[in-house]
Amino acid sequence: MAGTPSSARPLSPHLQIWRFTVTMAASITQRGTGVANFAGVALIAAWLFAVAQGPAFFAPVGALLTSPIGGVVLAGFIWSLCFHMLNGLRYLYWDSGRGFKPATARATGWAVYVGSVALAALIVFAGLAARGGA
Amino acid sequence: MSKKGTSTFVLQRASAVVLIPLAVWFLISLVAHAGDSFAEMQAWLSKPTTSIPFAALVVIGAYHGRIGLEEVIVDYIHSWMKTVFLTLSWIAALGVMGLAAWSVYQLSFAG
Repeated sequence: MAGTPSSARPLSPHLQIWRFTVTMAASITQRGTGVANFAGVALIAAWLFAVAQGPAFFAPVGALLTSPIGGVVLAGFIWSLCFHMLNGLRYLYWDSGRGFKPATARATGWAVYVGSVALAALIVFAGLAARGGA
Repeated sequence: MSKKGTSTFVLQRASAVVLIPLAVWFLISLVAHAGDSFAEMQAWLSKPTTSIPFAALVVIGAYHGRIGLEEVIVDYIHSWMKTVFLTLSWIAALGVMGLAAWSVYQLSFAG
């Protein structure tokens, strides 16, 4: 991108020298979960399609949903959506021009990690409680 | 995002806000119905009160997701491959939307 440096000045060392910050981790996780959620939405569409086609199409999907692998994918998708949602709310708060003090941004970053696990657990409990009902 | 940055910025956030209640509802329903038999699942998904929010989740989710994919693509890919990936992101998003819309039509509205 920069081409041949015109002098021997050192280049920005941004890819070699960094230290962990939770704001950085949350930013990377937001992208990772975002891409994962897109794949999840594609799976939802495939699931809908399988149900619409009939029992023969649905059989492997239903088997996957109740298998251990399906459980792991399901749990991962639930957490991924929860994280993206809570961190997205953090970004909406930032859009209002607030929350940028380093201490605040770090605190909300940790809160999103902890909160995403709590929210995911809450959703699983609510879903299990609604089983057979809704 | 060139030349349409502001509208993309606004639509990304508007779709995000709409997706919050849809995603919470969807995730709880997903856990509740993961163990359903085919007949139970078909009966549940055929109700328009299920299938319409379901389709909205997929359509708005794929729309929101495509904006995000574009951000990631333009950040990391600078060669001619960028156009290829951006085109693929549109094909994937529109394909997912079409699949969900067609499925919901079949489930709730066709004979």
